[in-house]
Amino acid sequence: MTELERALVALGQELDFPPEPDLVAAVRARLGERRGLAFLPPRRALAFAVALIVVAFGIAMAVPQARSAILRFFHIGAVTVERVETLPRAQQQPLATGLGPPLSRRAAESRAQLGIRLPALEGPPPKRYYAQPGLIATLLHYRDEPVLLAEMREDQVMLFKKFAGPGTDVQPVQIGLYGLWLEGERHVLMWSFGPGELHRIQTRLAGNVLIWLAGNTTYRLEGDLTKEQMLELARDITR
Amino acid sequence: MVGRPLDESDLIQRAKRGETHAYEELVHAYQGIAFRTAYLIARNAADAEEAAQDGFVNAWRALGRFREGAPFRPWLLRIVANEARNRRRSGGRRAQLALRAATEESSGGAAPSPEATLLSAEQREELIAAVNELPEEQRAVISLRYFVGLSEHEVAEALGVPQGTVKSRTARALERLRESYD
Repeated sequence: MTELERALVALGQELDFPPEPDLVAAVRARLGERRGLAFLPPRRALAFAVALIVVAFGIAMAVPQARSAILRFFHIGAVTVERVETLPRAQQQPLATGLGPPLSRRAAESRAQLGIRLPALEGPPPKRYYAQPGLIATLLHYRDEPVLLAEMREDQVMLFKKFAGPGTDVQPVQIGLYGLWLEGERHVLMWSFGPGELHRIQTRLAGNVLIWLAGNTTYRLEGDLTKEQMLELARDITR
Repeated sequence: MVGRPLDESDLIQRAKRGETHAYEELVHAYQGIAFRTAYLIARNAADAEEAAQDGFVNAWRALGRFREGAPFRPWLLRIVANEARNRRRSGGRRAQLALRAATEESSGGAAPSPEATLLSAEQREELIAAVNELPEEQRAVISLRYFVGLSEHEVAEALGVPQGTVKSRTARALERLRESYD
């Protein structure tokens, strides 16, 4: 993908699309059968947008170091990466910290409303999955290293933000529509799920990370792998 | 390319058997991309909503002809895009593509927000203006390919043209846009 093409993809993230209507009820009515079963509530685009601004504002207020010294930020799908001079306070924690209780694949896909894409690795598939509305994750074992795979739908997700200090190298990579590779010093990951759970802002230190956008899904891999190893794994996921 | 909706092939099979609940899950999974695709073709929100809705209903009626094992998304988007094209031909006001109001300030930063150093605010405005000035057939290809994230095959399906045509239109459009971007 050329620089211009990457610029167009980036531009697409900032287009002013009209709020997407919820079509389920209207289509259901025209299928000739009504059901009493409760379905997912319609997406309230305006409410969500307001909620997102509230979250972003809340985080900025909560992290004065970051607020005072934001150098630049990048959007990629559902994820924002901000470069700061000083990282917000965070601790190193297990990869799946804060993502909720472990679930079966079926239960996680149901909660996330998203089917997870897995690489074709040797051995049995993962047994534990983690989910929030619009996000599904699992721990893979690749080259004897634990790797967290998270997949997010940009039109549903919450806030997923990474703060990178001067010691973290952030570079574009060619995968999917657009990709970013973060390595070097650990960076801080901060996220919050859904407008109804604004108070649950989580932070932790994160290691090497590859983020890429394919279709309307944002993929994220985290673990102690090299860029080449991570890209190899990523290409197996969105092959 | 896209995270699969839940057990898509299973949902399609159940929908083919007349299970509306299964089809509603497919509608839920694809309504966002269907609406955006329709909007980029019709360039009118009301027309796009009608086109997406009619597209889903028509796809439901045509499910019996859907080939088992084929990808559902391009098939669906072709039907939706056809509805959108029909509405576009009917006239009415057509919106230009525009950027959202800047969100940098709401994140608490005073810094500019170029996308990975790719674009300054001025370049973004120039680029979106250049996209709007493209001939309609090139603008549609660029919009669907890069703004919605469809594959070349899906763009070809949506616009009802051969994949080679998508390639050539894309190349011509990128050549024009490069003049604005460089």
